[in-house]
Amino acid sequence: MTSTATAPPETASAPPEAPPAPRPRRHLPALLVVPAVVLLVAALGYPVGWQVVTSFQHFGMMQQFGQPPEWVGLANYTALLSDPNLWVIVGRSLAFCLVCALLTVAIGLALALLMGAVGRVGRLTLQVALLLAWAMPVVASMTVWTWIVNWRNGLLNWALDRVGVDAQGHNWLVEPLSFFVVAAVIVVWMSVPFVALSIYAGLTQLSPEVLEAAEIDGAGGWKRLRLIILPLVAPVISIVLLLQLIWDLRVFTQIKLLQDAGGVANETHLLGTYIYQLGTGAGDFGMASAVSILMLLLTVAVSWYYVRSLMKEES
Amino acid sequence: MKKTLGLAVATTTAALVLTACGGGATGSTSDPSPSASGTAGNAGKTITLWLAGSDTPKELRTYLQDTFKAKTGATLAIEEQTWPDLVTKLTTALPDPKNTPDVTELGNTQSPTFTNVGAFSDVSDLYQELGGSKLLQSFVDVGTVDGKQYALPYYFGSRYLFARKDLWKEAGVAQPKTLDEFDTAVKTITAKNPRGIKNFSGFFLGGQDWRNGISWIFANGGELAKQENGQWVSTLSDPNTVKGLTQLQDLYRDASKAPADAKDQTPWLYVNDADEILDANQKVTGKTSLAAATIMAPGWAHWSIGDLKEKDGKKVREWNDATFGAFVLPGNDGKPAPVFAGGSNIAISKASQNQALSRELLKIIFSADYQKKLGGAGLGPANSDYVSSLGDDQFAKALIESASNSKLTPAAPGWATVESKMIMEEFFSKIRDASDLTALAKEYDAKITPLLNLK
Amino acid sequence: MSRTLGPARSRRSTRRTVLTVVAVAVALVWAFPVYWMLNSAFLDKVTLQSSTPTFLPFGGSLDNFATVFGDAGFVRALGISLAVTLITVAAAIVVAFLGALAISRFRFRGRRSFVLALLLIQMLPAEGLFIAQYKMMSSIGLLNNILGLALLYTAAVVPFTVWMLRGFVAGVPVELEEAAMVDGLSRTKAFLRITFPLLAPGLVASGVYAFLQAWNEFTVALVVMTEEQSRTLPLWLRGFVQASATRETDWGQVMAASTVVAVPVIIFFLVVQGRMSNGLVGGAVKG
Repeated sequence: MTSTATAPPETASAPPEAPPAPRPRRHLPALLVVPAVVLLVAALGYPVGWQVVTSFQHFGMMQQFGQPPEWVGLANYTALLSDPNLWVIVGRSLAFCLVCALLTVAIGLALALLMGAVGRVGRLTLQVALLLAWAMPVVASMTVWTWIVNWRNGLLNWALDRVGVDAQGHNWLVEPLSFFVVAAVIVVWMSVPFVALSIYAGLTQLSPEVLEAAEIDGAGGWKRLRLIILPLVAPVISIVLLLQLIWDLRVFTQIKLLQDAGGVANETHLLGTYIYQLGTGAGDFGMASAVSILMLLLTVAVSWYYVRSLMKEES
Repeated sequence: MKKTLGLAVATTTAALVLTACGGGATGSTSDPSPSASGTAGNAGKTITLWLAGSDTPKELRTYLQDTFKAKTGATLAIEEQTWPDLVTKLTTALPDPKNTPDVTELGNTQSPTFTNVGAFSDVSDLYQELGGSKLLQSFVDVGTVDGKQYALPYYFGSRYLFARKDLWKEAGVAQPKTLDEFDTAVKTITAKNPRGIKNFSGFFLGGQDWRNGISWIFANGGELAKQENGQWVSTLSDPNTVKGLTQLQDLYRDASKAPADAKDQTPWLYVNDADEILDANQKVTGKTSLAAATIMAPGWAHWSIGDLKEKDGKKVREWNDATFGAFVLPGNDGKPAPVFAGGSNIAISKASQNQALSRELLKIIFSADYQKKLGGAGLGPANSDYVSSLGDDQFAKALIESASNSKLTPAAPGWATVESKMIMEEFFSKIRDASDLTALAKEYDAKITPLLNLK
Repeated sequence: MSRTLGPARSRRSTRRTVLTVVAVAVALVWAFPVYWMLNSAFLDKVTLQSSTPTFLPFGGSLDNFATVFGDAGFVRALGISLAVTLITVAAAIVVAFLGALAISRFRFRGRRSFVLALLLIQMLPAEGLFIAQYKMMSSIGLLNNILGLALLYTAAVVPFTVWMLRGFVAGVPVELEEAAMVDGLSRTKAFLRITFPLLAPGLVASGVYAFLQAWNEFTVALVVMTEEQSRTLPLWLRGFVQASATRETDWGQVMAASTVVAVPVIIFFLVVQGRMSNGLVGGAVKG
């Protein structure tokens, strides 16, 4: 199936020099994607379809227990869009996502450069530490973190107290702002290893000759970084940033477990916990589905620039 | 482990069911059961009971399983669900005939929602046999719809006070006889702070701890919600409720140093002194983790309160009457104040394929034997005839006394939604700093009322 | 650092020492929560309740671990988690590899839609899907089934792993393979001998990703593994924490349980570490 002859409209821009597959393998590419497509359709087809359908219905506990659902058209959406509370949560989620994703990538980049600049011992120590943090199961690391910030016998308050800050008995989860600072620290702590190790892997693939050449040319550290290293690892940075944006926008477990530990749930919802609370918590599945769809659109919007440029590369 | 033996279930599960059957065949000899199906016919059948949390002790579970096998020949599988995940699991599993538990325990405040949506089987015809009017009525009410009985009480526990007698004495305060006296007493203790402890609370009441806090609302004749012309209305801004809220605000400001987001988990930590023991072994730090003179908690908290003792190489808490005391929150009239009745209900899933066997299980649970065992384990038995089985120590007395005037959350169909949306927690966390309580209460009335009638 | 070196050289080595110190300091900060978990796992609850933290597990014991291993549910949950995780890792690698091969080596109808779909699926909020996932698994009889859970997990990781592997496959020059074919190897053989080894880091990285996701996932497991007998480790851990919290959280036991859940992942990581570090998003650089 060569692209030029039968390409669907969206691949019309495919370069004509794309390698034509040999004849006998006409169906090979299709066969290769079949397992993935079948798997995704089998596992996600029904749930996603149900979600789309339900978002146009009044579907509550009664319906869950057998009453026929009632079609309400766009009522769930209009109710949501006119609910100021939703916009507060959307704004909060976006802000949280941006701060976490940018911090994660910035720290990750710094650590990757650090790994490149130190010797074997320093690099291995740092790598192992990052791997340890990355390997911690979420439930386990959340348990440790909530204990560290525990207002009564947490380590944080003890340490602050030691250095002379009057923090004894201070509760970090009660104010939404400090709740989110704690949440961001945890999320960034968990995400940096992936980013740092990815960017470092990207750095190791730059040819040493290029760097040496730059050094001989007299390019100083900062200049070398800005003009040579960064452009070369830019593809990795942009892809990890995209992934962090997507993942941090849908952050759920960390917020949920932190809310369980303290904090006022209704003042600390992000989109993920809001959907969970609406649906599984309060049994309003129609609304929960509508929020999910809105959130999907939002994610697409946030990552639109990347998605488009990636898709351009694809064709 | 479900009854669908014939169906192809997961292989591991099937293996377990088969093992269970092997045992079932031998145990099915005795007891001519009154159930429709004889014991022989039940051999090989299994029903599932969901219990919430670890409150029902192992011994009682074994008793249920053994008695059930002897009586019906069938096997009883008991599965423990955690409280925070219970609603999720009930929501998904109860409507599903293939995977529903046959009988399930659920929190009393969760009962109205599931009862109203028709999740449970009608057991009105069994009601008299299982105890009738002897059953704890407030718990019966939350399982009733249109005069039919669906969910029944399982056990109750109510809340009373645990105090540090030594601190009360050091502050020179006597045991209060009325609610006002109590409020004044704990404020005095906070102000005097006899041991100079930082962030010390005369009475530790978490900012989001509405389950304890509503006692002050009830004690002043207030309610959370009431039914008007068949519709539920939130009544937080009623004058009586506001009176209770004002007293609470007072306590939050002058008696309790608990964080505004503290819920009702583990307040007993604050009346123990852990560090004094440590100080003897290590250098004296001059600090103590003792942080409160009084707390309010469910009765079983007394297992976690006391002096630290070494027993079989393990450190345990041992109650010490010289230091600790347990008493009931007094009401305005000197009688026990109405407190929130904790506890749970039990019901048969409507989707269960084993209705007859499930009813047999209920008969065992409501038998004199089992009710007494509940009492023996410190859980308030559903049937008032057996309350004496709780014993006569100070804890049993406090439990029975406080339960005598205990109240439940409104039996509105949407109450569980109010709870799962954590609206009461949010409301309570704002009480301390509210400048106009009535306005705050009105704001939350407007939030809660539409939810109450949700189905 | 010797004085005989030129000033520039000496300055650079000082700089390096400073940076190494910084690296080690950062490493300590990052690993601290992990250390804190380990440390606490050896201490008893009274020591842990104290408002003065104990930084070294002197005088500690293995009691907490004994309690954890004595918990009847633990071994069963470990077995189930291992089974689900291994199936997910194997299935994800195979499926994702085939998919990656297709999109990086061939141009075919629907390719762009496929790539776009992979991206979109990663953006789906999972929190709204639970009920429907339950209904689906129940109606096809896959509730409480290891394969059923592995199916959901594989579908959840495949979009990202295809994405990850795509760059690797593209990075192996077709010319290499063609050269081998000219040397008389069949296309399959050429692929196996030449291309496959070059993909190893990518495959390892995908495997690690799948492993982490399947080992740690909590909410989907909560919904579709309804029975006590079919709990995975995170469910067991959560149950353990909850049971402890109803009385008085025994941090020592909870930390011991967390340690036990984390250790298999850490071992797995350290084993594959060397192969993996090149593999993470290495593909993206080349692709």
